[in-house]
Amino acid sequence: MTASVFFLAFFGIAAVWFGIVVFRTHSMVRSALALLFAQTAIGAMFLVMQAEFLGVLQIMMMATEMSVMAIFMVMFMMDPGGLGAMEMTHQKRLSVWAGAIGLVGAAAIVGLADWGLAGSGGQVPSAGRQVELLGLELLGRSMFVFESAGLTILTAMVAATMVAITPPLKGGKNGT
Amino acid sequence: MELELLVALGIGAALFGIGVYGALSQTNLVMIIMGVELILAAALVNLVAFWRYLHPEVMSGQMFVLIVMAVMAVEMAVGFGIAITRFRSRGSVEMEEARELKG
Repeated sequence: MTASVFFLAFFGIAAVWFGIVVFRTHSMVRSALALLFAQTAIGAMFLVMQAEFLGVLQIMMMATEMSVMAIFMVMFMMDPGGLGAMEMTHQKRLSVWAGAIGLVGAAAIVGLADWGLAGSGGQVPSAGRQVELLGLELLGRSMFVFESAGLTILTAMVAATMVAITPPLKGGKNGT
Repeated sequence: MELELLVALGIGAALFGIGVYGALSQTNLVMIIMGVELILAAALVNLVAFWRYLHPEVMSGQMFVLIVMAVMAVEMAVGFGIAITRFRSRGSVEMEEARELKG
């Protein structure tokens, strides 16, 4: 077993473990932190796979995103610390079955597919060269897709702000 | 090399299964968003693995990763926008209390 397989498996198992913890703990803040650790472990997997730029981007982006998520958890939850051990799940059997079918289906495809090309591709470019090539890709052949993604994010920001500042409905629980 | 690809794709499959379970089983909107984040993270792992072990010389694979990251940010922004509206109008983001959204 090579070092890269070992570290890939190590960080992968860490990501899966923290992913399970997200839905096992009663504390919302712990859930957000567990998701942060899962995403960070995924970022470390990217680094092992020599995608340095994406790995650092993943870790930095998710650290910010999960911190925001933790703040929202504290804002919205009656018991963000999980001291009351509230039940926050429903349709458990259906969910377990759906998750298991998804996992088994994906694992079956992974196991049965022919990955004969694996490893036969060219050399992985150095980290600096990767960023250069990615920039050329984004501002060249894939410019339309890249600009569409930027426009989508801008639209989503405006839409989220407009939805959030909408006055409460008349007759609602907290409405006027 | 193929073993590394299988390990990465296996981890992606596990994250996808956990994400589907979380998105379907949780009653809180923010927890459902967390499940969707895990599903998208599984897609990210798969895309990077495909780029690294199948076509490392083609940067379209990394470009797709950036697009999925943009989708994650958009999903979270819109999800929290809806959560804020819901919390202001109903005082809760529990989906058990949102049955009227069924129409």
